[in-house]
Amino acid sequence: MHYELFIALRQIRARKFQTILSVGAIALAVMVLTVSQALMVGFTDELYNTTVNKLPHVSVSPQEDEDYIYLYRTLVDNIEKVEGVSAVSPFLTGKASFRFKTNSYNAELKGVLPLKENNISDIETDMVEGDFRDLEYSRNTIVIGSKLADKLEVNPGDSVNVSFPNANPLSLRVVGIFHTGSPLDESLTYTSLDTAQEFYNVPDVINGLSVRLEDFNRDREVAAKIEKTGYKARGWTETNPEILRTIAIETTSNNVILGLIVVIASFGVVSALNLSVIGATSQIGMLRAMGATIFSIRTIFVLQSGILGLLGALVGTLTGIAASLGIGQYEMPAASSELYGGLTTIPIVIRIGDILVIILAVFLLNLIAGIYPAQQAAKLDPVKSISSK
Amino acid sequence: MTEESPIIELKNLTKSYKNGMEFRALDNANLKIKKGEFVAIVGPSGSGKSTLMHLIGLLDTPSSGTLLIDRNNVTNMSDKERSEIRNKMLGFVFQYHHLLPDFTALENVMMPLLIAGKKRKEAKETAEKLLKEVGLEDRMDHKPGELSGGQNQRVAIARALSCSPAIVLGDEPTGNLDTKTGDMIYELLRQLNKEYNQTFIVVTHNDDMALKADRIIRLVDGKITVQ
Ligand SMILES: Nc1ncnc2c1ncn2[C@@H]1O[C@H](COP(=O)(O)OP(=O)(O)O)[C@@H](O)[C@H]1O
Ligand SMILES: [Mg+2]
Repeated sequence: MHYELFIALRQIRARKFQTILSVGAIALAVMVLTVSQALMVGFTDELYNTTVNKLPHVSVSPQEDEDYIYLYRTLVDNIEKVEGVSAVSPFLTGKASFRFKTNSYNAELKGVLPLKENNISDIETDMVEGDFRDLEYSRNTIVIGSKLADKLEVNPGDSVNVSFPNANPLSLRVVGIFHTGSPLDESLTYTSLDTAQEFYNVPDVINGLSVRLEDFNRDREVAAKIEKTGYKARGWTETNPEILRTIAIETTSNNVILGLIVVIASFGVVSALNLSVIGATSQIGMLRAMGATIFSIRTIFVLQSGILGLLGALVGTLTGIAASLGIGQYEMPAASSELYGGLTTIPIVIRIGDILVIILAVFLLNLIAGIYPAQQAAKLDPVKSISSK
Repeated sequence: MTEESPIIELKNLTKSYKNGMEFRALDNANLKIKKGEFVAIVGPSGSGKSTLMHLIGLLDTPSSGTLLIDRNNVTNMSDKERSEIRNKMLGFVFQYHHLLPDFTALENVMMPLLIAGKKRKEAKETAEKLLKEVGLEDRMDHKPGELSGGQNQRVAIARALSCSPAIVLGDEPTGNLDTKTGDMIYELLRQLNKEYNQTFIVVTHNDDMALKADRIIRLVDGKITVQ
């Protein structure tokens, strides 16, 4: 063990009260940082799960100047084989007018292969009445959003009249109602792909594909691979850039504030260390007389600051993790559940990478902050230091 | 036997302070000290005794003149080189012991050896031997706060000797002790000097002590008057 570390550790141990205060200040700041990071990531993940996961991660559309994708079955097979793709669902969608008794509204009529659509969306879990799979096993049936159902005043079993200019008017029986909590509840309806093709009066074609990825963060990369098939493919970050922007802004401002807290705590350590330099003047002079170089004196104090920072970071992350887990256990009052999008507990995500980055950053920050008091100690004149006391 | 070259040689060594007018704390000092000599430095307060010790001890830099230690010109060396000479060739005992308060007597004596890069075990063995020599074998694990003034000064002497320095510098090492303890410490220094043939330069106010030295150097107003 180098003697600089020996001295640094001993002095930290000897100044118990100061050490506890310094470590405590850093630990507190780091704890707040750790908890806040866990909440931030938890809420971000939750946001991704509730929004991004309901979106198609990648949307494939027809070639330019084309309205439809022909021969889509091979295309589905090919895209399913692209690395990173977990499911593909072809669809034929368009506008339609829905009429029940005297109520009439326009909405989207989306023809899908129900089993495939199920793989790329949460539609099955969003069903509040009926079974989404019934679309697969019956003709001229429809699943509609809860708000649209309310406005049309239809119930499962009722038949709605669907029409549109240039389309074959059909009467479709309602077999299910879904509720997502989003605007889709009043603007979207599902039917089978066959029925949609009959309605829009087209052969066996589609006008788009929804793709689900194993990792939605790779949307642009996988979209680029899919484009090699010759069709246009766009990731969710391109189709819904506002989601990413919102998260980025919140994360950044949050991190800036927390970074400042840690910097302030580190300055506390610097001032404590500055005091201890003054208290150790004659010791520093004697160390120089014993042959300690200016560099070694500096090292002793930078080490002290770094060690205090490291201790603070370790204590802070450990208590922060414990506090985060505690917060994660907390059950939200049932009444407020709707307010927070159906959450029953506070989402907490602790990433080991974040913890390591926090520890390393606080350690380095304190090493740097220690340079000032260390410099004060190093530039003491040994003659004056020894003559003092 | 031919004349041995001196271990310390001062040539016109001067230390001056300027605030308004120039003031020479050490004025044109010329001095040769042989290996193994025990030299007492005497003189009134403010005559430049400490200044001389700090210059020889490489804690201070001269304003002009040359200082040779073991025939090496140390006047213009870097901090690293000077630190290494302080560590390996020089041992210090000051009026105050300046022991590190958070370390035991043993650890304090080990410190110069650790600074020299010696292994813990080796440093410990040497330090134990020296503490025995100064009569503190049963106080090795005590911190300075738990020892008397005389005991602490003996620890400081053991520390000064730990790297077997060629030169030991004492600036009023007994100045802070009662007469009886002071005499004992002085005797100890004299005895160690004879035992190990190290060069000792000791500042003292006590004439009886000075008379026991091989040579007395008297300083008056920064000038060496008697050799
Ligand atoms: N840093 C300094 N600035 C100005 N004068 C100093 C300084 N250090 C010492 N002196 C002066 O130099 C003279 C010699 O001091 P010193 O060597 O300590 O004397 P001694 O040890 O013999 O009592 C004194 O007059 C003292 O005031
Ligand atoms: Mg003096």
